[in-house]
Amino acid sequence: MKRDVGETRRRRHTGTPRHPIKVGRAGYAVRYAGRYGVLGLAVVVTLAPVYWMITMSLKSEVDQFAVPPRWFGFSPTLAHYYDAFFARSFGGYLLTSVIAAGLSTGCAIVVGTLAAYGLTRLTMPAKLGRRLSVWILSTRMFPPIVTAVPLFLMVQGIGLLDSVASLVIVYTAFNLPFVVWMMRGFFQEVPREMEEAAMVDGDSRLGALWRVVLPLVTPGLAATAVFCLIISWNEFLMALVLTQTDAAMTLPVGIAGRVTQYEIKWGVMSAAGVVAMVPILAFAMSVQRYLVRGLSMGAVKG
Amino acid sequence: MQKKSGSLPSTISLCLSLLLIACSFGACRRSAAPDGKSLTLAVNSGVEGDALKQAARDYETQTGVRVNIAEFPYANLFEKELIDLGAGSGAYDLIMLDDPWFPRFAERELLADLTPMFNRRNLAGPDDDFLRSSLALCRQPYETGALYALPYVGNSQLFFYRKDLLENHGLKEPVTWDDALAAARTISERESAGAPGGRQVYGYVMRAAQGNAVVADFMPIFWAFGAEMFDAEGRPTVNSAEAVAALRFMLDLGKYAPPGYVSFNADEVSAHLLQGTAAMSINWPAWISAFDDPERSRVIGKMAFTTMPAAKNPGRAEIGNWLIAIPRGSKNADAAFDFLVWATSREQMKQSALRVNPPTRRSLFEDPELLARFPAYPAQLRSLETSKPRPRTPLWNEIENTFGIFLSKANSGELSPEVAMNQANVEIEKIIARNRR
Amino acid sequence: MNADSDKPGSEMRLAQPSRARAAIRRERGLPYLLVAPAVAVLLALSIYPLVYLVKVAFQTGSGDAVRWTFANFERLASDGFFLTALWHTLVYAATALTFEFLLGLGLALLLDRSIRGRAVFRAILLIPMMLPSVVVGVVWRLMLNPTSGAINGTLQGAGMNTDRLTWTASTALALPSVIAVDVWQWTPFMFLVLLAGLQAIPQEPYEAALIDGSSAWQTFRHVTLPLLRPAILIALLLRTMDLFRVFDQIFILTQGGPGNATETVSLYVYRTAFRFSDFGYAAAMSFVLLAMTNVVSLIYIRLLQRQEPA
Repeated sequence: MKRDVGETRRRRHTGTPRHPIKVGRAGYAVRYAGRYGVLGLAVVVTLAPVYWMITMSLKSEVDQFAVPPRWFGFSPTLAHYYDAFFARSFGGYLLTSVIAAGLSTGCAIVVGTLAAYGLTRLTMPAKLGRRLSVWILSTRMFPPIVTAVPLFLMVQGIGLLDSVASLVIVYTAFNLPFVVWMMRGFFQEVPREMEEAAMVDGDSRLGALWRVVLPLVTPGLAATAVFCLIISWNEFLMALVLTQTDAAMTLPVGIAGRVTQYEIKWGVMSAAGVVAMVPILAFAMSVQRYLVRGLSMGAVKG
Repeated sequence: MQKKSGSLPSTISLCLSLLLIACSFGACRRSAAPDGKSLTLAVNSGVEGDALKQAARDYETQTGVRVNIAEFPYANLFEKELIDLGAGSGAYDLIMLDDPWFPRFAERELLADLTPMFNRRNLAGPDDDFLRSSLALCRQPYETGALYALPYVGNSQLFFYRKDLLENHGLKEPVTWDDALAAARTISERESAGAPGGRQVYGYVMRAAQGNAVVADFMPIFWAFGAEMFDAEGRPTVNSAEAVAALRFMLDLGKYAPPGYVSFNADEVSAHLLQGTAAMSINWPAWISAFDDPERSRVIGKMAFTTMPAAKNPGRAEIGNWLIAIPRGSKNADAAFDFLVWATSREQMKQSALRVNPPTRRSLFEDPELLARFPAYPAQLRSLETSKPRPRTPLWNEIENTFGIFLSKANSGELSPEVAMNQANVEIEKIIARNRR
Repeated sequence: MNADSDKPGSEMRLAQPSRARAAIRRERGLPYLLVAPAVAVLLALSIYPLVYLVKVAFQTGSGDAVRWTFANFERLASDGFFLTALWHTLVYAATALTFEFLLGLGLALLLDRSIRGRAVFRAILLIPMMLPSVVVGVVWRLMLNPTSGAINGTLQGAGMNTDRLTWTASTALALPSVIAVDVWQWTPFMFLVLLAGLQAIPQEPYEAALIDGSSAWQTFRHVTLPLLRPAILIALLLRTMDLFRVFDQIFILTQGGPGNATETVSLYVYRTAFRFSDFGYAAAMSFVLLAMTNVVSLIYIRLLQRQEPA
């Protein structure tokens, strides 16, 4: 079923039922209740573990393992947060995470978007373009465990071990395939005529890209950027292997480090976990309305 | 572009995040190194790492040399060190090693020989105050070979038990494993509501998570029953009759353990002991002080400690010292050695002991101030002196890993004890064969 | 939907003034220039590892005794641990994928209409996939603790006997538990992609179906699903690739245990490479994993590209 590309823009986000069903009044009420019931259940299932983690970060150790588990009745303490950020270097880990995730996302977006544009827009033998795209995607298939050791040796050879720079480079490489594939989809949705019109008016190809095409794919770009940020922020294994001292450790490595030989410092770990969550959630929530809209624009239409 | 709706919550959360990041600047204590030297030490996350961080600060105050501590979780420290040292990355000037890892590092010639360094300071070697059993771990071959490390934390397992519960049921301190089993049965049956909150008290609790955990808790039973990992020619003998009997005994003990013990690690075991829901266990001395901490314990003053129970053989605890070594490629070997000697000196080790790390010097075990603070020291000393190390083979990590999987399978009921031990033996033979040079 | 040169636009180009034609000539090299940085970065970071892995996978012995052999690969066929790990990976991937897809689709369908609080629901439901896997593993480990965990505590409160429910400690329940955690964490991803796909579907086909008098199920089957196909395939593709290499959560939750009941290929690779220092064997295993992932991905990509117009 071929759709004319231009038309999809004019969708109505109204209350019209998407899947029209003819039911009577009573049936409608049941459906209504059922729908909210299911959604409510989903929300509870989603939030319960998060809530549990927040409470663990606020409970003293005696309460943490109380049997039966205490969902509500406990006296909160901020000791774990203090411990994490002032007695240990979680502040530094947070900063490193921000730099590594932010910079790598930025680089991946720039390099990947250009590449995606080149792959979709410009005349390249179609087969080469397709093969290249698939190759780019395939670099994402290797289990990170196994690339960890050679990457370690490589980074050590360059002398960049235990630096945020190495993480930025590696994360950029991790995110590139994703960016290329997502942006490829978005660019395919923008009609060629738009840039060509601009070029006829005297703009260069890249200028047209910047002034005409990019504004159209911004939601998609935002969505992709959010995914990249999440992936880089949460990455664990490479950070563990490539960092050696506190100077370059990221939050996930720091959190995992609370697993000591004798005990797991659940309090500090949960406090750090809560803090690891907050920036990412904040950022994602503020752009989340773009996420769906952005994705719906292109990639998911093939 | 869509109209911005609901931007207030997002703005607030963005501001919060920025605030957090700003705080991280403040809390981030990464000052530049002074123009003196600086050393980097890789440590294990936990009490040892914490004590060394303190020691590092003291050292810097005293000598101006900065010691950076890089902490890693126990589960990852081994491979981190192996990769770094194997690649000669020179990132670490000192590393902490759990003693079973030592043979592999020494065998691969990754560690610096300490005797020449002692000689350069007109010393023959470390002084006599170090415990024999601890120092022996630092030599490759065991006890007789060259010295590649110094022992820092003198851990040796102890048998923990709830003296109040045993007294209440007319039981004496367990001397043999059969005593322990009988006590476990009695307590499990009679104390179905004896723990705080009316919960069941389990007679025994142990670590049975596959790998290092289950092997560490199994070895005392294994050895007491007369089994050995290897025979005189180095062939594995984990499927001997004694070994299978030991495993069967472990399963018997497991009947009186809390549900899910099959995947317990140290933290779950300790949680049960601290919450009062388990009565006996093998554990490491680092936990002793936790039992009297009101922030963590519901059994203050109720725990007692003794040496390992016996069976056919006298009870011998597994020794598990933390050693500090200097990588062979270190560029600051001399400065590192200075720190090492300083940190393992009597005064400094006493500081470490006050920070809950058992020492490796006899005089400290007899020091009145420490004895007053740690009444279990006599038991710990006895345990250390009669302890047995895990086999000193460079392949220990693989062997322990594989052995641990089969022990775990037996405990979870997936395999019977005989089958598990037989399969384990076969796998261990394979490991040895593969690595024969 | 490939941007090919035989669309109407190209005819337009021939009619343009020479200045534009010159620009177009100049830009023949442009695509390669644009793609070059990406390719360079990826090449740099994948060539060396690939070469290294090929080297160690096909070699045995060390020092002077290095030989090129298939020994590592031959060992795979008779290694019980590897075959079990392979089986676990397949079961894990298939089960998690199925549940994530069905739940994600259900949630997406529910939220595809404007109901009250839609944005809030959407925001909340997306949370799990934004958490670091380390944190997810930690939290669920806490919740699944047989005695003090929230799950068993709540079940006990409801009167159930939870002695046999030892979750990650039980050989039978460990793999399902780990899969359940994955489903909790990644269903939002499926939900997001499928919701986006649903919202990309225009109104017209639905109106047509309404006029035709189709039932809800028929509409769903003949209108929604086909139009959702690209979204479904992309979601399945990305997710499958990640499921085959899953590591972080399982590592934190069970470390592969009890025994090796939750050991997937990634975990066995980790154990082999880092505990056993046997990089050659680990590399051989990852090649098998890579081959598997490649085959499955190519199937998805083929399906995806099949609907692109010739």
